[in-house]
Amino acid sequence: MSWWKFFLPKRASGAQLDSELRFHIDELIEANIARRMPPEEARRRAMLEFGGQEQVKEEVRDVYRVRIMDSAVANVKSAMRFLRKSPSFSATIILTLALGIGANSAVFSAIDAILLRPLPFPEGDQLMRLEQFRRKVKNPMGRLAPVRLEDWNRMNSTFQAITGYYTEDASESSGMLPEKVTAAFVAPRFLQVWGVAPELGRDFRPEEEHWGGPSAVLISDQFWRRRSGGDPSALGQKLRLGDLSLTIVGVMPSSFLFPDRDVDLWVPVMLGGPFSENRYLTWYLTIGRLKRGVTLGQARANLATVQEQLGKAYPNTDGDLGVSMEPLKETTVGGARKSLWMLFGSVSLLLLIACTNIVTLLLARATQREHEISVRFSLGGPRAAIVVQLLTETFVLALGGAGLGLIVAGAAARVFRTLARDLPRVGEIRLDARVVWYSLLCSVVVTILCGLFPAIRGTRRNLSSALAQTSRSQVSGRHPLQWLLVGVQVTLAVTLLSGAGLLLRSFQALGRVSPGFDPSHVLTFHITGSYAETASPEKLAQRIDGTIDTVRHLPGVEAAATSSELPGLAREYETELKFSEGEVNPERKILAENRFISEGYFAAMKIPLLEGEDCRRGFRTQEGGALVNRSFANTYFGGSPGIGRHVQAVIGSLFIGPGEIRGIVGDAREEGFDREPSPTVYWCGNGFDPDPVYLVRTQAKPMAMAEILRRKVHEIEPGRSLFAVKPLEEHLDEAFGENRLRTYLLSFFAATALSLACVGLYGTLNYSVMVRRREVGLRLALGALREQIVKQFLLQGLRVTLLGCLAGWGLASAFARVLSGMLFGVSPTDAATLSAVIFLVLAVAGAASLVPAIRAAHVEPMQVLHEE
Amino acid sequence: MPIEKSDLLQGTLDLLILKIVALGPVHGYGISQRIRQISKEVLQVQQGSLYPALHRLEKRGWLEAEWGQSSNGREAKFYRLSAKGRRQLASEESNWNRLAGAVSQILETAS
Repeated sequence: MSWWKFFLPKRASGAQLDSELRFHIDELIEANIARRMPPEEARRRAMLEFGGQEQVKEEVRDVYRVRIMDSAVANVKSAMRFLRKSPSFSATIILTLALGIGANSAVFSAIDAILLRPLPFPEGDQLMRLEQFRRKVKNPMGRLAPVRLEDWNRMNSTFQAITGYYTEDASESSGMLPEKVTAAFVAPRFLQVWGVAPELGRDFRPEEEHWGGPSAVLISDQFWRRRSGGDPSALGQKLRLGDLSLTIVGVMPSSFLFPDRDVDLWVPVMLGGPFSENRYLTWYLTIGRLKRGVTLGQARANLATVQEQLGKAYPNTDGDLGVSMEPLKETTVGGARKSLWMLFGSVSLLLLIACTNIVTLLLARATQREHEISVRFSLGGPRAAIVVQLLTETFVLALGGAGLGLIVAGAAARVFRTLARDLPRVGEIRLDARVVWYSLLCSVVVTILCGLFPAIRGTRRNLSSALAQTSRSQVSGRHPLQWLLVGVQVTLAVTLLSGAGLLLRSFQALGRVSPGFDPSHVLTFHITGSYAETASPEKLAQRIDGTIDTVRHLPGVEAAATSSELPGLAREYETELKFSEGEVNPERKILAENRFISEGYFAAMKIPLLEGEDCRRGFRTQEGGALVNRSFANTYFGGSPGIGRHVQAVIGSLFIGPGEIRGIVGDAREEGFDREPSPTVYWCGNGFDPDPVYLVRTQAKPMAMAEILRRKVHEIEPGRSLFAVKPLEEHLDEAFGENRLRTYLLSFFAATALSLACVGLYGTLNYSVMVRRREVGLRLALGALREQIVKQFLLQGLRVTLLGCLAGWGLASAFARVLSGMLFGVSPTDAATLSAVIFLVLAVAGAASLVPAIRAAHVEPMQVLHEE
Repeated sequence: MPIEKSDLLQGTLDLLILKIVALGPVHGYGISQRIRQISKEVLQVQQGSLYPALHRLEKRGWLEAEWGQSSNGREAKFYRLSAKGRRQLASEESNWNRLAGAVSQILETAS
């Protein structure tokens, strides 16, 4: 019988059994008739002789039934009995597995929530993020002009609809005090694209999306509960947003959190307004919903054709534009993918180590149970049944481990949220049925991985030899297989430790990097502003400059300035620039990052001014001028003096240039601590961004100034709110969230792996000492020194560890590629890290081997000999 | 006096069935008749033991079953010995002979 048939019951088909038995009865009747009985009598006698038909059938059916259900129950019962008899053995395995399966399920729950599940919108896989880009430079000018969005939506044939949005932090002033709200300004078809309807009220009407029509607003569930306590009469009430008066027409469901969880309002941007034909605008982040059955490739090609037609129609503005398209899910979670799979790989290694450990334990146990197993063989138990019995024991243990592991997995969401708050979709991580099923799957895999081999090996014994064997003949203490498994554990642990070591070193290096600016004692905040203010940039600049002046004069403030972006956080805004003077050299393009700042920025950030002077005040770069960093000067000035030259964008831009270069400043890692400073132009002026970041250098702790600032700003700008108050260092810290998550978790897994490997080493050596007690006793009696015994066992442990370390070194080097791109300031094959890891492993393994080795040396020869 | 099932040594029925089936394909009724005839009515197998035993042996792969025509033209289930069953029969037969030999040795020597 092949082994799998054991699991597949052969059924006694009812009809076949019936006819088999009927044939027997018919034959009996015929035999009776042949003995000249009358037919009735013949029949009666036959039935009598045959006995209860139903009973026979039942017994035949039992033949097939017994093995499957009853034996499963019996197996589980006997497994429970066996495990209760050896509680410490069971507890060790269950705890090891709880850690292994738990950590694995925990990471799986994150991968499932973040990477595997579709976005929480109906048919979320149809949602695409669309961007335009300039073909010539690496500049994600992703945002679309309203008119181009409408063109794309009208001319394509592959999307159900295309829409866009941008968010603004605004001040809502219909109540007693102004309240800062986050408003999403949305293009037409917004809810249609998401496929979500308001929980209460209605979607926007077409007239509300056209210039001159009534103003409407949808509010978030959160805002609704906060402002009107969830009262449906909020519908129809008015909100004030700057100059806008908006009527609440609907409340969105609490699950709808787009663009992010802080959004309070959705306000339609009206078609046909003053800006509606301007093709230079970059307003909208764009989302499209694919038609059913359309592939990515088809949609990409279709949009490219659309944009090509636009390029012909409007060569000045559209000629140079391309279209890029990615699934929305990909753009949301794509960045976290590598880290998450790396973590999943490491927990899987961890689980593998745990399994190896358990195999060792089970093998040792199987040796002890040889006698029991051979007795069962001699009683006629088929081998498959005994294997199944042993597997059931492992499975019960694995289930116990998985059950406990779910507690570990349950804590995963909190760990992920604490370590990496900025991880996309981190709020969706939770313990649900899928994770439970996954743990169950893990325990089945573990059962087969851990249990099958010891079970098959344990039952392969030759019956007679096992029965004949007594404990006296069990001298062999070599157990090459067990030592091989210990070596494998060490190898895997070294691999994980190397990864963790490299990440730790690179984390350290990041902490030590000198960014070129001083983020300590800097408080950052925003003040609500509206893009409508950019219509009169002079007034806007006056307002912001006024605020800066007020803040600067507060006691305890050393410096204050604004910037369009937080310094030190990843961001790219590269454009092609040119000097206004002299010929443009087509061979030598000037590519640079662009940052928009106010005067006083370099003083506030403590970036040294190397040459020339600081920005001047102004609303445009024409007045404010520009400064460049040292990289820019070195790369593009080409030896000639740069100060006094004018720089501007090659492609017309609302914001950039021309501006006079007034000075050169030191290089600063403004695009992220892990990136070398690139050539950068700082554009001076306060007229382009209604909502810049305010940066205030304080004498005391930054947060201590928060309340004073809030009050002062309210005093001079009663209609605006101050929000997102946070020290700069905290922002930078959060930016390391994903980095910290993978570093901490991998270190934790690696430490666990090392402890498991040591437990395995300790256990195996201990077992080996136990088995060889007699030999050791004999040698001691014959005059061997105790030091020799210690040395012998210690070396046995260390030899295996060393081999494991060498193999681990090889494996770690092979896997170093996985880590590349996550490392900073340390090479993936850094010898110092790897040697430190190996030294650590040897030290810990030495300690783990020492205990059994000393125990071996303390064997009392007389006692051992007496035991015999 | 006929010996009933309960008096049969555990496993003996299996051995008898294997031995009878080894003679050629045969149905359940045929097996019970042959055991009775060959043992000169000493052994009478109850259908309540015979059929479960047949199915058990079939499930273990020692017997193979096939539907065919009986001598009087009726549909019957015929059992045949498989290669595995042949090996099993050989080993059980030798076991039985050793046991029987040992038992009779004791009976003779001890009397």
